[in-house]
Amino acid sequence: MENKWQRVNVDQSLKEKIYTKNRSFASDVWYRFRHKFSALAGLVCILLMSLFAFVGPYFTEHTYDRQNLEHVNLPPFLSVQEIGGESYYVTRGMKLLHISPSGEALKSVAASADDAIGRRMAFEVDGEELILDYGQMPAVLVDSAGNTATKKTVWNATYRLGSDMLGRDIMARLMYGSRISLIVALVATVINMTIGIFYGGISGYIGGMIDMIMMRIVDIISTIPLTLYVILIMVFLESGLFSIIVALSSVYWVTMARVVRGQVFSIKQQEFVYAARTIGSSGWTILTRHLLPNVMGPILVTATMLIPSAIFMEAFLSFIGIGIAPPMASLGTMCNDSIQTLKASPYQLFFPALVICIIMFSFNYVGDGLRDALDPKLKK
Amino acid sequence: MYRYLFKRLGIMLATLFLILLLTFILMHSVEGGPFSREKKLNPRVEEALNEKYHLNDPMVKQFFDYVGGVIRFDFGPSFKYPGKTVNDFIQEGFPISAKLGMVTMGFILVSAIPLGIWAALKNGRWQDAFVMTIATLGVTIPSFVLATVLMYFFSYKLEWTPVYGLDSPVGYILPVLALGGYSMSFIARLMRSSLLEVMNQDYIRTARAKGLSESGVILKHALRNSLIPVVTILGPTIAGLLTGSFVIEKIFAIPGMGVHFVDSVAQRDYTAIMGITVFYATFLIAMILLVDLFYVVIDPRIQLDD
Repeated sequence: MENKWQRVNVDQSLKEKIYTKNRSFASDVWYRFRHKFSALAGLVCILLMSLFAFVGPYFTEHTYDRQNLEHVNLPPFLSVQEIGGESYYVTRGMKLLHISPSGEALKSVAASADDAIGRRMAFEVDGEELILDYGQMPAVLVDSAGNTATKKTVWNATYRLGSDMLGRDIMARLMYGSRISLIVALVATVINMTIGIFYGGISGYIGGMIDMIMMRIVDIISTIPLTLYVILIMVFLESGLFSIIVALSSVYWVTMARVVRGQVFSIKQQEFVYAARTIGSSGWTILTRHLLPNVMGPILVTATMLIPSAIFMEAFLSFIGIGIAPPMASLGTMCNDSIQTLKASPYQLFFPALVICIIMFSFNYVGDGLRDALDPKLKK
Repeated sequence: MYRYLFKRLGIMLATLFLILLLTFILMHSVEGGPFSREKKLNPRVEEALNEKYHLNDPMVKQFFDYVGGVIRFDFGPSFKYPGKTVNDFIQEGFPISAKLGMVTMGFILVSAIPLGIWAALKNGRWQDAFVMTIATLGVTIPSFVLATVLMYFFSYKLEWTPVYGLDSPVGYILPVLALGGYSMSFIARLMRSSLLEVMNQDYIRTARAKGLSESGVILKHALRNSLIPVVTILGPTIAGLLTGSFVIEKIFAIPGMGVHFVDSVAQRDYTAIMGITVFYATFLIAMILLVDLFYVVIDPRIQLDD
């Protein structure tokens, strides 16, 4: 250690070496997104719901519209009465429904005699007589020898989530209903995005008088409550999936147009736009190649925020009876139908309500996560 | 100020005219006249009906007659209920809807603002997380799902509230909760983030530095400024309450205007749809204008003559 001040030889190339991995903007966004639990959980839920909605119908023998009037209002868990080795379920219409040991709903038997004063009903099953004593609630089955039935709860194997008031399978209807929700969400958002991006982009890029007029139109449209608009358009069109998408896409683009216009307006004065103009790019090229890619973040965030409102709107329209036409299932119509039988069959409400809440939650959380990931400055 | 007012009034009138035109065109381009039923009418009867309701006049004349009627607050007869006018629907339904709406608005303001303030003051602690969880639930659960689930538990299971109607004060609880849930959650979130932002401002530090008590800082300096975003959202909130009441009134069988509207939509009673839409739109636009004017009054930072 004679000379402490001796120069250490440093390899100049090492000085410039970047030790962390080189990350693109997209991978950066993905990194931030997947480190947020709620966003990731939302994404997984959306994927599972899509599987349920698009692949599920191939794995069930039920369809959304096949009715079986013998199997009306069967709950997912049947409280059956076992007598003589056979199980029976007493339906609300006071019929005996034969249930197989594994829980499948079989044929139903109507009463052969009804003694209303003694509050007893007789049924003939395979030549044997069974008596239903409905003097006590719940009613009890008694066979001719006087043995009473034992009670037991089995899971409904024919209708895993129960059947509705027309004997349709609730699970199959949920699949078709959530399929409609997801299709509406996707298609309406893509159309709104396209219209909004070009309307807002052109308005912001051209500026001046044209911008003024285009934005006044947007102002006027957004003053009218969108729900009223959509209902009016739905009255005019035939009800159905296509009409809902048309109604939603003709109205919901105004938010997107405003966002894009504001963004384009603020970045069109930057040097790279002047540079592009100097080398002779046309206005269209500047808009599509230079301006729009730079405002993609806010566009994506606005789009994911649009999805829940589109889903809500479809369910809302179907709920008040002008959305999806029966017999097609929609989560909104399912909720509406269930109100009539709410007191006796609450499961008919809870399953569609649960599915719609899961879908809404997932898209909201994904939207929040995406906003935080794309623009950490916005995070609060 | 006056220039701003005139500009806003101009836009408002243009919007109303556009709504009238749009509803008129939409409703008159629906296939089949108002009297086409499955059973064919006698041509002479149909002719007489068309004559009575001026349906044989040229479209432009019909439109301006309609506009004239609207200016005189006359929305014409209902086509599905003979002897009833659209005005009857509005006069029957609007007071009920307005009462429900006002109670809900009161509930929203009384609950959302304190909740938001509480969450902001306890920022990062369990109280904050609690309020934000409720607010997230309220924003995501659709109103009709909330209404039916509440109805099942409180009306059928616990039997605390009536299943339908607004006859007793208790009857208001569920409709108000279901109708106001979304806006309450939204405003609570807005209040929280706005107060948090204001608390970081320099003038709050100044107020603390000059020795004001914490409650003085919050009540006198922070709260007033953080309320401004809440005021801006009041216009859309009123709109949301009005359109939200379509389903709430239907679920709880409240004979308000929303039910009349949904009924007339279901029955394709075109004059009623048209009249109620125009009435709703006028009312809402006027409310939004009022809220905006109020906003200008309370926030001196806004430039009026842009």
